[in-house]
Amino acid sequence: MRPKGFLAAGLLIVGAALSAAQLITAPVSNPPVTGDISAPPQIESTLRRSCYDCHSNETQWPWYSKVAPLSWMAAHDVALGRKEVNFSEWRSYYPATRRRKLQWIGRAVHEEAMPQWWYRLMHRDAKLTPADRLALERWVESQLSGPENRPSNN
Amino acid sequence: MRRSVKALMLALVAVPMLAIAAVADADHSALEIRFQNHRFAPQTLNVPAGQALVIKVVNASNETIEFESFKLNREVAMTPGETITVRLPALDPGSYDFYDDFHQDVPEGSIVAK
Repeated sequence: MRPKGFLAAGLLIVGAALSAAQLITAPVSNPPVTGDISAPPQIESTLRRSCYDCHSNETQWPWYSKVAPLSWMAAHDVALGRKEVNFSEWRSYYPATRRRKLQWIGRAVHEEAMPQWWYRLMHRDAKLTPADRLALERWVESQLSGPENRPSNN
Repeated sequence: MRRSVKALMLALVAVPMLAIAAVADADHSALEIRFQNHRFAPQTLNVPAGQALVIKVVNASNETIEFESFKLNREVAMTPGETITVRLPALDPGSYDFYDDFHQDVPEGSIVAK
């Protein structure tokens, strides 16, 4: 077979595989919000802009979440994100759980681990500014020192 | 004579290797946390302070869990039947809690360094 023939066969196989992949749908849904987090407007706005797509039941599913195999990856990331922390179910967390999650949020924000870089590539507005980070860190500290989330309140 | 030299050389190579293997194996087998019946066992793991540790964590349940510790800065999702190795630096004396982040009703455990 000539090189052009190989290329054509390869493209045909990739095209067929991608078409077949569309038959395997990913679970891209938004369950009901059962206990949304309560935070000052500035913090809530930042959380919604930078975190809610993966860490809430109010995901704004992007166009690529409807195209396999990207849809599988998006569904996987959101499912994992919701398991890690779900702001839509915040009020159902035990006080000890809330405290742990606040600690991790504070660390992730401080270490600039969130939002993850590949998410920021596709969602430029999700990037946290230094002012956003500072505000979030201060909010986390205030929450951790509040009576509701003190260590003894388990 | 040649045989005894060979035996001696073999012993010189084999004995340290066996010793290293035994120590490594002891490290891996001595410290284990097992998740089963919706709880960690042991719930308190006593470890020596001031020395690096290797802890084997076994998810012997049918649930996906996340072995997590904020103090130890570790979080690892584990599928049913999965075993992971957690390597920790030398710990200061104290208590380091760990928990399953995916199930908040699982009692938390602690690693106590003495």
